[in-house]
Amino acid sequence: MRIWIKLLATYQKYLPPDCSSSAYEMEVPPDARVEDILAQLPVPLDESVVLVNGRTPQPGQTLQEGDVLCLFPAVAGG
Amino acid sequence: MYGWNGRILRVNLSTGKVSVEEVDPKVAKDFIGGRGWGIRYLYDEVDPRVDPLSPENKLIFAAGLLTATPVPTGNRYMVVTKSPLTGALTASNSGGFFPTEMKRTGFDLFIFEGRAERPVYLWVHDDHVEIRPADHIWGKMVFETEDIIRAETDPRARIACIGPAGERLAPVAAILNDKHRAAARSGVGAVMGSKNLKAVAVRGTRRVPLAHPRELKDLADQVVEEVKQAVAAGKSTLRTYGTAYVPPVTNEVGILPTYNFRTGVFAGAEAISGKVLSEKYLIRPKACYGCPIACGRLTRVDDPVFGGEGEGPEYETIGSFGSACGVDNLAAIAKANYLCNELGLDTISTGVTIACAMEMYELGLIPESDIGRPLRFGDAQAVVEMVRLAGMREGFGDLIAQGSYRLASHYGHPEFSMSAKKQEFPAYDPRGAQGMGLLYATSNIGASHMRGDIAYMEVFGVPKKLDPLSVDDKPRMVKYFEDIFAIVDSAGLCVFLAIRYLFEPTYNVEPVRITRLMEYATGAGYDEETLLRAGDRVYTLERMFLVRAGFSRADDTLPPRMLREPMPDGPAKGRVVELDRMLPEFYRLRGWDENGVPTREKLAELGLL
Repeated sequence: MRIWIKLLATYQKYLPPDCSSSAYEMEVPPDARVEDILAQLPVPLDESVVLVNGRTPQPGQTLQEGDVLCLFPAVAGG
Repeated sequence: MYGWNGRILRVNLSTGKVSVEEVDPKVAKDFIGGRGWGIRYLYDEVDPRVDPLSPENKLIFAAGLLTATPVPTGNRYMVVTKSPLTGALTASNSGGFFPTEMKRTGFDLFIFEGRAERPVYLWVHDDHVEIRPADHIWGKMVFETEDIIRAETDPRARIACIGPAGERLAPVAAILNDKHRAAARSGVGAVMGSKNLKAVAVRGTRRVPLAHPRELKDLADQVVEEVKQAVAAGKSTLRTYGTAYVPPVTNEVGILPTYNFRTGVFAGAEAISGKVLSEKYLIRPKACYGCPIACGRLTRVDDPVFGGEGEGPEYETIGSFGSACGVDNLAAIAKANYLCNELGLDTISTGVTIACAMEMYELGLIPESDIGRPLRFGDAQAVVEMVRLAGMREGFGDLIAQGSYRLASHYGHPEFSMSAKKQEFPAYDPRGAQGMGLLYATSNIGASHMRGDIAYMEVFGVPKKLDPLSVDDKPRMVKYFEDIFAIVDSAGLCVFLAIRYLFEPTYNVEPVRITRLMEYATGAGYDEETLLRAGDRVYTLERMFLVRAGFSRADDTLPPRMLREPMPDGPAKGRVVELDRMLPEFYRLRGWDENGVPTREKLAELGLL
């Protein structure tokens, strides 16, 4: 199945070079867990906020077709 | 006394009398400095029921405890007074260079009393204090005012002043310093205008005495080094994008205020982001005094309609003039920001009031003849025109200058005002961030993220991520953040640095390094417990001012939209703010009774009886 990886703020530097927006598609196994996909991404996870469809994922949560997995660096806001 | 100067400059504008007072060391330690000191003096000296724009109200400029020390970002001051927007007290915060220069004059506080007969400005050069006529600058914009006063005083003078909005007593008027930095909230500019005080110019050459200067400098240097390393590694989001990096983040969470807070999802979020700001308009990042982050944005817009140059826009301004007004034109948002700085307006309250007027116009509740033009969501030119009119209080701008609550009430529908205690919401829809809902509802100064920005944890994951949709543990965390923000404000530090680098990055956010810094500065015997109690004390004394002004539980609430209209779409779809589930527990944790009044036991515990 396919999901979207969305990277915001300074994580946009980790987007594929041909990506013109903040998100790109990724092929993942059915029922892939959030943690499994995160391990494949080039971002420093211990400093990241992770969202699935804008919400805080539960431990062990699995992904569904079309889900948006979003990451940005934990940082003070405005 | 170390850390503090321990001296107050009192200026009676009615009589022209200027006097100097010493500060009681116990008051100094118990209330920390800055916001805490300001609140203590306001509480003791001003009847909470006075008309905020009368000579009986006082205007207090308060430099922080760590201001003008080597501690990075120790460059902030607070303006403390009774607010004409809310009727409560306020403590409005600003950085830049003015606060450090102010403290180097040898005073921690300036207290302005009475009302000058004619426009004046104050010039303080160390111990030289002079009230000067300002008839020749009354009516001038902020930038020109600064330039004229600097030419008349000292090339190195730092200046805080009001623009036309403050002179015209607009309840959304700000006090600008260093041209672009604003103590913006709660109408502090109108109080200054009501005193016929156009500006305050300072030049200070004194060093603040420190109890343990070497230890203080070592720890300060260590913090600076950590920030510099983060910047060098490209990890400083605030350096790279400024706070403008936020709109796509809050949009992803579904809390970016859109169309006057009808929804939290905005189709134009990417177009108003820091990435676009950097690519199209950024000249360079700009730091306040002694700050290694440099989140400020010096920008220029080359555009026939929206052209200009200045600082900003920051996230809050993008939220208010941008998504809340349905505007996805970043050039127009920058223009509105530049104009607010020139006119002396709060960008949050002005933008959210325009958004309120747009919604009411579209619903047919405000006739076009009153406005003089159509005022639809998304109309960037209309937004900029409304800012101009508001700053001069001309035409329909006279209503905008009074804030959304008075504007919406004027047309019989106060429910369209997105405010708490009549002060406009910052750019987080609290239906999708429950802790922010509790914060807005209970904040002593009306809706404000800066009273205890629990969005740090609910949205930004600093120091740990909390689920924004959950109410679990939120009363405790909001209370705690209110107390630590009171400490940071009283220290004169910037929360951007303080929360990340001076508190422990654990769920409990303990004030470890900030306590050491305060102890090194003062030698007054601060430990973590006394410091947290001081934060609680400041917050509770503020509350007592509100109680005496007639506020009660009925005022600790939110607009009906937040409590009863479920978020229509996005990740927070279906949610309202569950205030009733949080408020009783919050009161209990604060030591307040069911009406939000501090108990005698609590006051005794804090030494406030």
